[in-house]
Parts: sequence; C-alpha cells; structure tokens
Amino acid sequence: MERTLSPRKNFIYNLFAILLLCVLLFPLYWILVTSLKTEQEIFMIPPTLWPQVLNTTSYKAQLNAGDFNMFQSFGNSLSISLSCMLICVLLAVPASYGISRYRFKGKKGIVLCFLVTQMLPVSVLLTPMFMMFRDAKLLGTHMAPILADATIGIPFSILILKNYFSSIPAELEDAAWIDGCNRFTSFIRIFIPIAFPGIIVCAIFSFLYAWGDLAYGMTFIQDQTMRPITAGIFNFLGQYGTKWSYLTAFAVVTIIPVALIFLFMQKYIISGLTSGAVKG
Amino acid sequence: MKKLLAILLVAMMLLGLASTAMAEEKTEVTIWYYWETIKHQETLSVVIADYNASQDKVEVKTQYVPFADFKKQLSIGATADVLPDIVIIDGPDHASYAAMGIFADLTDKLADWEDLAQYFEGPIDSCTLDGCLYGIPFGSNCLALFYNEDMLAAAGQEVPTNWDELKAVAKATTKDNVSGLGFCSLQNEEGTFNFMPWVWSTGATSFEINSENTIKALTLIQDLVADGSLPKEAINWTQGDTMNQFISGNLAMMINGPWQVPTMREQAPDLNWNVALIPVDTVNASALGGENFAVIAGGEEDAALDFLKYATSAEKVTSYIDEFGYIAARKDVAAGQFQDDPTMQVFSAQMAYALPRGPHPDWPSISDAISLAFNQVIVGTMAPADAAAEAQSTIDAILAE
Amino acid sequence: MKAIRRYFRGGNLGYLFVLPALIYMLTLVGYPIISNIILSLQDVTVKTIKLPVKPFVGLENYQKLFESGILQTSIWNTLLFTVCSLVFQFLFGFALALFFNRNFTFMKPIRGLLMMPWMIPITVTGLMFKFMFGTNVGIINHALMGMNLIQTPIEWLTQPGTAMFALIVANIWIGIPFNMILLSVGLSTIPQELHESASIDGANAFQAFKAVTLPLLKPAIESVLILGFIYTFKVFDLVFVMTSGGPVNATQVLSTYSYKLSFSLFKYGQGAAVANILFVILMIAGIFYLKFTYADEESV
Repeated sequence: MERTLSPRKNFIYNLFAILLLCVLLFPLYWILVTSLKTEQEIFMIPPTLWPQVLNTTSYKAQLNAGDFNMFQSFGNSLSISLSCMLICVLLAVPASYGISRYRFKGKKGIVLCFLVTQMLPVSVLLTPMFMMFRDAKLLGTHMAPILADATIGIPFSILILKNYFSSIPAELEDAAWIDGCNRFTSFIRIFIPIAFPGIIVCAIFSFLYAWGDLAYGMTFIQDQTMRPITAGIFNFLGQYGTKWSYLTAFAVVTIIPVALIFLFMQKYIISGLTSGAVKG
Repeated sequence: MKKLLAILLVAMMLLGLASTAMAEEKTEVTIWYYWETIKHQETLSVVIADYNASQDKVEVKTQYVPFADFKKQLSIGATADVLPDIVIIDGPDHASYAAMGIFADLTDKLADWEDLAQYFEGPIDSCTLDGCLYGIPFGSNCLALFYNEDMLAAAGQEVPTNWDELKAVAKATTKDNVSGLGFCSLQNEEGTFNFMPWVWSTGATSFEINSENTIKALTLIQDLVADGSLPKEAINWTQGDTMNQFISGNLAMMINGPWQVPTMREQAPDLNWNVALIPVDTVNASALGGENFAVIAGGEEDAALDFLKYATSAEKVTSYIDEFGYIAARKDVAAGQFQDDPTMQVFSAQMAYALPRGPHPDWPSISDAISLAFNQVIVGTMAPADAAAEAQSTIDAILAE
Repeated sequence: MKAIRRYFRGGNLGYLFVLPALIYMLTLVGYPIISNIILSLQDVTVKTIKLPVKPFVGLENYQKLFESGILQTSIWNTLLFTVCSLVFQFLFGFALALFFNRNFTFMKPIRGLLMMPWMIPITVTGLMFKFMFGTNVGIINHALMGMNLIQTPIEWLTQPGTAMFALIVANIWIGIPFNMILLSVGLSTIPQELHESASIDGANAFQAFKAVTLPLLKPAIESVLILGFIYTFKVFDLVFVMTSGGPVNATQVLSTYSYKLSFSLFKYGQGAAVANILFVILMIAGIFYLKFTYADEESV
C-alpha cells in the first residue's frame, strides 16, 4: 500500500476505476435489465437498453414458486456456507502454518496430496460421495453438502495461506520465543493476527465456493425445504425452456444480500497489516 | 436426577415406538417427478390428496427432482440403492432404466387389468422392453407446426402442407430480422425430438439413417439453412427459446408442442397465430412426447400399483389431463378432450401420426448419433450423405451389441 | 508417551498441524478417487450397473474412447480453453491488483464491487453470456455493429472457432476477480520499506517492480496459477450451459464429455475413464508445480 496520492492523481485513479467498473460489471447490469423486461421484450431485435414496459412480476414470482421458499433456502445456504467456511479455516490455517514453518519429511508429497484431491471433476465425485453419506446416514442433512463443499475450500486455503505464513519474517518468531511463547502460543498470538487478512480472504473464498455450489446441494438433499438457494434456479430453468426474466430476477435477489455483507466487510479485506506489524 | 433421566429416556423410547407403530399402519409411497410448472405441481398434488383421502392403507408423497438433474439423480440412486417407489419419467428414457433392472415388470400384474386395452399403441410401446411392460403411460403430447397468420398473409402465402410449400413459404417470409422457420435443434434428446418428424415423414425408421430417405430429410434442413429460412442459431435454442423467438416476432413458423399454448396465450395475447399439421414428404408424422409412470423394483410395488390404477382411471385422467395441456394416452379420454378448443384439436389430430422414439435401451446413444448428424448439417461441417453415413456406423455398432 | 513427544519435537511438530486437514481430505476424496479408477476399468452400462460384480475389461474403455476421436478433441479443447483463459485472466487480474494497490479514495468499495461476478451462480452467468453472444438478440453483436466494427451479426455460438472464443471471454470475466484478489493478498505482504529503499536507490517504477515486487510475489503467483489451472481445466457448468460442448463437439471439454457419457448416455465406465484422463493431466501439472516451488524453497 502506498502513501496518499496527489489530488490530481487521485482523481485520475478514481475516474479510471469507475470506468473499469462500468465495463466489467456490464453483464451484471444486463442481468438487472433483463429481469425487468417481459419475456417478449427480452427477445426483441434490436435489444433494448432499458425496459420499455417495467415488468416486476418476475420479482413477485420469487416469493411464490412451488414449495421453494426464498427466505428459508437463503437460511439454508447461509448455514451451509458458514459451517463450511468454519471447517475450512479451522483445518486450513494450522495446516498451512505447518507446511510453511516446519521442515519435515514428505512435505512435497503432502502438498501434492492436497492438490490431487481437487483434480477430479465434480460429476464423478457425486456417486461415491453419495454412497459414503448414505452409509454415514448424512443424506438429506446439511452436513452432507457442508463436508463436500469444504473439500474445495481446504486445499485452496492451504495453498494461499502457506505463502502468507512464509512471508512473515523469522525475527518476529524469535522475538516471541524470547517473550516466553512456545510453538502453539506463538502460532496463536503472533502468526494468526499477522496472517489475519489472508485468513479473511480464504474464509471468503471458502464461503463463496459453498454459496455457489449447486451439484452437492442438489444431489445430497432431496427435500426442497432443506436445499440451498442455488437450487431455486431450477424453478425457472425447466424441461420446456428458460424463463429469462424470472431467472435473472432470481440472480439479482440472491446477489444483493451477499454483496451487502461484502461491502460492509470491506475494511477487513486485505489491508496492509503486515508492514505495520513488522515495524511494531 | 438419575431417576428423572431414566423416566425421560423410557418416555422417549415409548414415544418413538408409538410413532413408528403409527407409521406402520400406512404404507408410504414416494413419487419422483420433474414438472417445474406450478400448475402441473398443483394438479398432481390434487390427484394425490384425493387418493390419500380415498383409503387408509397407503400414503403417497411427492418429491420434485428438476428435469436437468433427473437422469443424474436416478443413475446415482440406482447405483446406491436409494430410489423412490414410483417415477414419472420421460418416454424415450424409459427403456434404458428398464434395462438397468430398476423398474418392476408389470406384465403379469396388469394382465387382467381391462383398462390396458384402452391405451394408444405408441405410449404403451414406450413402456415396453423385450415384450414386457415396465410402466403405464401418464399422458402424451406431440409436435405440430405453429405459424404467424399476419406474417404469412403479408407475404401472400398459404399454410404449407408439403416440403416444397414449406421451403417456399419459409423463404417468402424471411426478411429483415424475421426467419421463416425455427425449431429446437439442440444436440441432445430435445433436438432429436424435433428432428425425427422430418425423418419419419419420408418413411424411414429411427434406425435407418444412412438411407435415401433420411438423407432427403437432412437435405431439407440443409436447404432451409442455405435459404436463410432456418437460423443456424436454432442449434442453441431450447423449445422454450424457440417459442420466445416466435412470440417476439422473430419467426414466421415454428415446430413446437401443445404445452406452449397456455404460455403463448398469456404472454402474447395480441399475436395472431395458429397451428397446423407438420408439412409432409410422403406420410404424416410427428414425434411422440410425454411421460410414463414406472414402479421401482423392490420398493412398495403393490401399494404403488394400487395408486397407479387409481390415478390412471378414465375418470381421474379426465379430471387432470387438460390442465397439463396433454393429450390422454387413453383412447376413451382423448376422444372427449378439447371439444371447444380448435388449436388443441390440431394436436389431437396430429397425435394419430406421432411415433415414439426408440424404444431401445441404448436410445440415448442412438439419439446422440442422430443429433450429431443434423447439427453437422446445420453448422455446415458435413454434407447430408456423409453425416448420415457416420451416424449409421455408430448406430449399427450399438445395435450389434 | 515420551517417544511420541520426542517424535513431535522440532520439524516433526509440523505433522500435528497438517494431519487434521490431510486426514479430512483423504477420507472424503480418497475413496472417490480410487472408486473412479476401478470404475474406469470395468464395463459399466445400463446392462451391468446393477450387477454385484461388474465385468473387468482392463483398458477397453480407454481404447474405445481413443477410437471415437472425441476424446482427443476434448483434450485439445480443454487445453486451449485453459491456457487462453489463464493467461488473460492472470494478466488482467495482475494489472488490476497493482492498480488497486494505490491508495485512492474509492479503492476499497470499487475493488469490493469487482468481486460481484463471483457471487452469481455460474449457471446464471453462463446463460447470461449465451444470451449476450446471441446472433440477433445479443447485445454484443449490436454493440459491435453500432460501433461499425462489423457489418453483419457474427454467429458467435454456432461456429466452432467463435464459440470457443465466447466461452473463453466468459471465463476470463469470471476469473479476473479471483486473480485480482489473490494477487492483492500477495502484494499486501510486501513490506512498504522495500519499495521505498528501491526508490532511494534510484530505481524507476518498472525496475522496482522487477527487482522487488515480482520476486517477492513469486510464491503467490505460482499458487494462483496452479489453482487457476486446476479449476479452469475442470470447467463444467459454464460450458454445459453456454454450448453443451457444441457446435458439433467444437467446445466439448473433458468434464462435459465425462458428464455426457455418464449421465446422458449411461456409459458409466467410459465417463469414469475420461475423468481419469483429466485427473492424470492435472497430476502432471501438479508435479511440475511442486518441482518449481520447492526447488528454491528447500535450498533456503
């Protein structure tokens, strides 16, 4: 992070950033506009940049689609994603610390193991996992997608966090030792606070992987009232075609709460904590 | 304290026993289905509620499994032995699952069920494998030609009845942003469903792709694309997308099914459109769609069958089949349907010429070869004769197994 | 007890930190990996799926796949898709990470908003891009025609070359935030003093970037690339909804091909074999990654 910019530079940077935002988020704008058009207008040639007739039925339909309940499935998704995030952080933080700060035999093999576990496409994982969860009596519970989703977040977080822990200077650890810390207390008192921004980012990605998951939630849970919110897509993506306005309205409604959480959490995401810590 | 705990435990066990005992009084039957339309779901639940109220032995429950996930879930369930008691399944897939052995053979159990004689041949064929009956048809639909009356009138054209007229009308109505004809040509079962009427109309069967007749059908597609009347984009259109293109005024004609009719009336009340039989080469033909009931082997077979007999009775079918926009698979019910709906009557007339796909346990692979062939012709990567020859060699290899 | 204590002293203490995660992963994913290898060596179709013992056929599934030719096309398509996506999303992501490393007023909210593509289910993203790339109703063709860059609409998704291009564009769009955020994390670990000392030594921005930023960022870059490679190589939902592998297999990738074989055509054995080929290619990439990263780390 660099020091404050001159007012002129600051203006140029802001302007450029906003332009960038407009270009990169155009598809999101298009989702929003499509959700407000009628099915007929969506297919009009040439496409309209703003709906001629404002159509909000697609939003009303979100609240009333079969036995799919928007709020309930939002809660399901939240409970699945948060639990998954917790498992990922609890397992990945110590593991990445161990990999980056200790020398032991077979380290390469272990890192390869973590990589290898992500190398099968989800479609072939479904059947064997289904059978494991069947035997463990976890089918139909949130536990099944939680455990399965965490297999994406854990190796990811380990690979990202191990760099973070490696970058922490050895002097800091030495200083902690002099202060009477042992390995575990120095890990908890020194390393975790310094790596906090990295941990947050890994937590966010683990959360988002679970949040976006459709395959596990659909396959392991049959009860519509227990399914995550992504399952709602299928109400508008059916046998006889896609209801575009409903589908895009669904996307808008599901993005908003998550986006709000993120905007409020901005100050915790990636700040230059390390440089300050080294000085102190 | 310990005493209290013990009492609590005993109480809980008793409660548990009582609840299982109560559950045992009624046999539970679960149905998997994939209709996402709320109207379909509600109609089905009315039939089930009536049945549950009509007797006290069986309790039927439903489970919605999305269409896109249905085959996957059924495959995984078959491997892991986690299946419901009844599935409502797409006709062309029926034989594959029957071949897996997950469906109960109903031949003997339904041997003296007199209603069986009432069923049309096509739907019954789609439930049959090697002479054994593995299901009961739920209801049927088929494809027909939709046309935009204003566009045809503006171009001074009559409704086409044969292929030459079809090509001429499609060409005459193609201008600016409007294409003359569109139909779903996806490289999957949905695309095959929409392509087979052209093949069957020449007199060819599903398994005779490298024949003069099928090549003629492929050449028709090639000509329509060359004329600009059939947009190449149709290879990415579902039947729903095709309908949307039609009601937005981007298509003068389309091939589609009766389930679109309610949506079209609701979404485009001002559009002047009508339905006609699919233009013919030598014989009238359409593709048979619709679902069948199948009973899972090893589940609550007798209870399931009891429900099916109830739900497929003439009286019950009459009560719900119109709501689905389906044509009954029973002759006695179909005869009385849509008396005052001329549009739907066209579909009833077209039904007489509708043929089932397959039935064959490896139909998905055969269908894959066929859909690859017409996609190659539409995209222009292969000439009709070459595409047909390639498809035939794939199909021959499958049939030889 | 004492022996255990002694064992976990020093470097071996690292095992205690690593084992829980390792056991978790091996329990949940180890069995699927093995069962998939076995499945790929068996003849499992509609006729055999319910048999208690499935016929063992050795490498016949692999042989059949190679003969059909679609496998080779899929491998090539997957590689093309992965390399193109990875290069561009990494470059864009890196540029953005550097840009947002400056301290301007709206830096944080804008960087946060750029994460939004990640919050949409990929199924919806894919459908949206399919729609935007439509020939007649697509906004992309209309924008290009409006700017007089093209005269007639391009049939993006119905021609082999352009369909792959459209897929790659969509995937780059999804991948940019991923690269940007992870590289930002990496950048934030570089102490500010190092930049300052570099500028005192008279280095210009580019020299400082080359001498300070790149070397310190190397581990982060390697992690982002290997993770990006694995995730992109496994791409499924995006291709499935945008083109389903069409037109005429021109965008068929290994994961969609495996899915189609298993769940549309009921050729479970062959589907597993395709997944295994994907697995082996990724394994090779993983070994290369380890060679690179630990070549210098172990000498430290």
